[in-house]
Amino acid sequence: MNYSRDKTAESVISSLHEVAEEMHNKMMKGTAPTMSLPVRTKKNIEFNERLGVFKYGKKRSIRDATSLRSANQLLRALHIIEFIEEMINSGKSSTLREMYYISEGWGHGKFGSQNESNNLAEDLEIVTKCMREDFKLRPEEDGARMIGDITINERNRKGDWMTINARDDVGDSGYGLPYNVESEKLRLIKNDVDFIMAIETGGMFDRLVENGFDEEHRAGLLHLKGQPARSTRRILKRMNEEWNLPIIVFLDGDPWSFRIFASIAYGAIKTAHISEYLATPSATYLGITADDILAYDLPSDDLSPKDVEALKAELTDPRFADGWWQNQINMMLDLGKKAEQQSLAKYGLDFVTDTYLPEKLKLAGLI
Amino acid sequence: MASTRSKMQQASISEFFEKNKHFLGFDTLNRSIITAAKESVDNSLDACEEARLLPDIRIEIKKVKGKADELIMISQDNGPGIPPDSITKVFGSLLFGSRFHTIRQTRGQQGIGITGVVMYSQLTTGKKTRVVSKVKDEATAVYVDIGLDTKKNKAISSNRKRDHWFNSDGEIIEHGVRVQAHMKAKYQRGKQSVHQYLRMTSIVNPHASLSLKVYDEEGEVIDGGDWPRVTDVLPHPVKEIRPHPHGQEIGSLQRFLRDSVDRKMTSFLRHNFSGVSMRAAREVLLKSEIDEARKPGTITAPEAQAMLEAFKQVKLLAPPTDCLSPIEDLLIKKGLAKAIDSKFVSTVTRSPSVAGGNPFQVEVGLIFGTDMPSDGPVEVLRIANRVPLMYQQGGCLLTKSIESVDWKKYGLDHPGGRGVPKGPAAILVHLASTNVQFTSEAKEALSDNEEVFNEIRLALQEVGRGLRNHKRKSKQREKAREKFELVNVILPEISAKASAILGREEPDLSPVITNIMNAVFSEETSEWDSTEKVTKCSITLFNYTNRPRQYTILATWPEREGVEMVNENYEGRREAKGLRKWKLDILQPSENLEISFSIDGLSKGDWPQFDVFFRGSGEIIGAMKLDEKILEEIRREEESALEENEEDIEDVVDDAMEFDTDSSDDLDSVELDDAIRGPLGDVLDETTGVEVVKAHDADESGTLDREEITKAVSDKNTHQAKLFGDEWSDEE
Repeated sequence: MNYSRDKTAESVISSLHEVAEEMHNKMMKGTAPTMSLPVRTKKNIEFNERLGVFKYGKKRSIRDATSLRSANQLLRALHIIEFIEEMINSGKSSTLREMYYISEGWGHGKFGSQNESNNLAEDLEIVTKCMREDFKLRPEEDGARMIGDITINERNRKGDWMTINARDDVGDSGYGLPYNVESEKLRLIKNDVDFIMAIETGGMFDRLVENGFDEEHRAGLLHLKGQPARSTRRILKRMNEEWNLPIIVFLDGDPWSFRIFASIAYGAIKTAHISEYLATPSATYLGITADDILAYDLPSDDLSPKDVEALKAELTDPRFADGWWQNQINMMLDLGKKAEQQSLAKYGLDFVTDTYLPEKLKLAGLI
Repeated sequence: MASTRSKMQQASISEFFEKNKHFLGFDTLNRSIITAAKESVDNSLDACEEARLLPDIRIEIKKVKGKADELIMISQDNGPGIPPDSITKVFGSLLFGSRFHTIRQTRGQQGIGITGVVMYSQLTTGKKTRVVSKVKDEATAVYVDIGLDTKKNKAISSNRKRDHWFNSDGEIIEHGVRVQAHMKAKYQRGKQSVHQYLRMTSIVNPHASLSLKVYDEEGEVIDGGDWPRVTDVLPHPVKEIRPHPHGQEIGSLQRFLRDSVDRKMTSFLRHNFSGVSMRAAREVLLKSEIDEARKPGTITAPEAQAMLEAFKQVKLLAPPTDCLSPIEDLLIKKGLAKAIDSKFVSTVTRSPSVAGGNPFQVEVGLIFGTDMPSDGPVEVLRIANRVPLMYQQGGCLLTKSIESVDWKKYGLDHPGGRGVPKGPAAILVHLASTNVQFTSEAKEALSDNEEVFNEIRLALQEVGRGLRNHKRKSKQREKAREKFELVNVILPEISAKASAILGREEPDLSPVITNIMNAVFSEETSEWDSTEKVTKCSITLFNYTNRPRQYTILATWPEREGVEMVNENYEGRREAKGLRKWKLDILQPSENLEISFSIDGLSKGDWPQFDVFFRGSGEIIGAMKLDEKILEEIRREEESALEENEEDIEDVVDDAMEFDTDSSDDLDSVELDDAIRGPLGDVLDETTGVEVVKAHDADESGTLDREEITKAVSDKNTHQAKLFGDEWSDEE
């Protein structure tokens, strides 16, 4: 929280200028322009004791204009800087995808793919210690859905604050979170819940809503929509921090779900520069665990070669270094099986809300 | 012999054909159409070459409606035409033309030539072969149908008429031949097809324009190709030479002795063989203890044997090599580039050499391109005396030579170092020789010969080195291109953008560029100038280092007669054959300089790329440091070539003395009869067959003469079939 928020437009621009300045200074000295940034791979993430999340380590790479590829990257970065500055000055914003298309007009600074432009935007975040919201860049994906007795204020397009209760003022699909969930856009007003449950699949979210799980167990339900967007992870973090609500994560039982949990709890590798801002270290992985597959005799599928590869990669991922996770991963590898959340329907539609979740929550000491 | 003759008369021509169809080239339906096209095209090419005409040959193949596996093949050329009297002879006889004692490189025919096509058509469909022939001197063309009287084993002509001959545009055709044969056959695509045969023929006959159209039953074109000529230069006429003593065996020598009309032995030796000077002739006779004045006919077998020994001991001149007709590297390059899209073509024509008294010359080409399939084995194009070999690739000397090279070293995938290498490439090997030795009478695979094998290997290694350089160069060029883009385009943009964002002054980029590049670059270009008719070349050096540099730059160029280097902007010097050098002034940091020159005497596309070398310290990106050892090698070869030249001159003087040519061009009917009967008779007599084989092997004129093929017909069934049993079964 210490670095990212409350940046003024001036400070954002001046941080961006520092990037251009590094290049300019190098050229004035007669050497190739450079841009230095941390190495962004699994090998360079370290646990930060103070923040309780994983952050980039000390390995830095210097991108210098001695190869055509790197030189192109520098040129693109400069184009983005110029573009962001223009947006800040004119009070506009754009999606990352829009920026990708706008780059068509940048000549040699044009991006080869959307992925490239996304990565460069992230690079700039890392180097400037700003957030893409500061850059007026927004993601393509829409935010998560939420249902429960939670009241928020959201500033609408006209600039007025509107009060919304995520149980009484919404339909069955719940409250849709905006891409920007920062305080200038969204304020957490009050809640009457005991915990927040983040759910991977829409089917399970709807099942819990239909069965009235939120009211019966005083829960706030949040649909992650697969790999959660930054705003989803950010709102979880805010509710956890500002309201001190426990975050319970309920996912499928497969290697990819493990990664979703890691990004919620410890930070994602790609966004390790803002882990302390997005990650909720106290989040609890409720299920489906590898031992659930055995304990509940769940219908399961065989692990694919890719699943096995992912599990093996997780064994060496520092975020899964603790004993419980090593145990879970090895158990899944031994079983050779994975199971979906909805496989619980084997025992009927109410089994998940009447039996499975209460049992698991009790086990976790949450009820 | 007499008894076999009488037996032979009962044998029918169809039986003969059936028994010999393997080496006649009609053993499968697919091969039959290839053979038919091949015989026609070879005849046309030979006729055009002899008449010094640029050949235009069109092949059409039509599927016959309602008949399974029946095709009509039409072949038309613009050759000199066949004189009316000779038409029956050409199409209906097994033996025609060809001299006895002389040797030269000829295309030669598969089996028994075009007569085989006539026979095959008649035997499989009962249809006659329709021939139109027009010679320039006559007003009208001759139209005639040729068939074979299977009872009398004689060619018969029918429906003979004279008329004007027009092309499809209604213009009179001045000269040419058109053959239309109707036969059982099947058109297939692929590696063994008429298409592939014509494609290969076009590569090695760059002076010929060939085309193919294949029609289905409904008259729809289902396959075709068009291979226009890439040069107007005809192959130079080959000289006939006499055999060399080193190629002699007892049988052939005895035959020469017996047939000689010379009055004494010295003239016998000098008139019948090449490479024998008066001094050498005397020495040979002295060593074999034969009186110079003896008549050749009186020499006994032990004396002939002694002569053979003496041949080995006496220093003889090498046979002349102007009896060979290499295609020449530049033309192969053009032919290959025309047939196959590619990034790189390298060709080598080795100097002629001699093996066992027989002159031969090796040419190879390697074409490498990204458009060709890269996972399979490279395409192997085998050629003997300008004739493509389509079958029995595995057992052929040419293939074995390719397989023996360590291709990995040259940048081609060569799993286990065995077999044909893999990759997007084609390798062509052409052997030009007065004595092409085949593994069998099918004439599809060359038999082992160490000298030839080694020559091919050397040539392949040379093109291999070219490929390796090309690959290294492409990589360097790509790197250089990127660096140039980086400093010339991207860096200035970075500078402009960064300065604009910060509102600051733009930095001076030249030290930055030197820092980024930190190397000397060389870039060469080669372009055809269509107005001046020269190939314009340039070499540009950029010094992107912070130190002054000085180099000697060398470039390859196609130095040969009629090709000149002109308009040099720096004065160059000859370093070795095909290698020019320029000693340059000091090149200061961030300076560049351009060497430019033109090459006169080439035509468009002859010289699309060249190599640049340098002498000096450090590296130049885009040029290779000159390997002084290779230079030494080039110089040595040059010197030895010069020496040979001197010998040749001596030899020519020697040969200028009278020489009795045996012009047995025309054969009387008895000879003809013998030739036709011979094979059929000998088929039944194994002993006779063996003798024929020996005589045949001994006879060093084992060229592709029709005469000899006829002889060979005789022994095939008896033990060729045993000797080459595996070969045949491979085909089936």
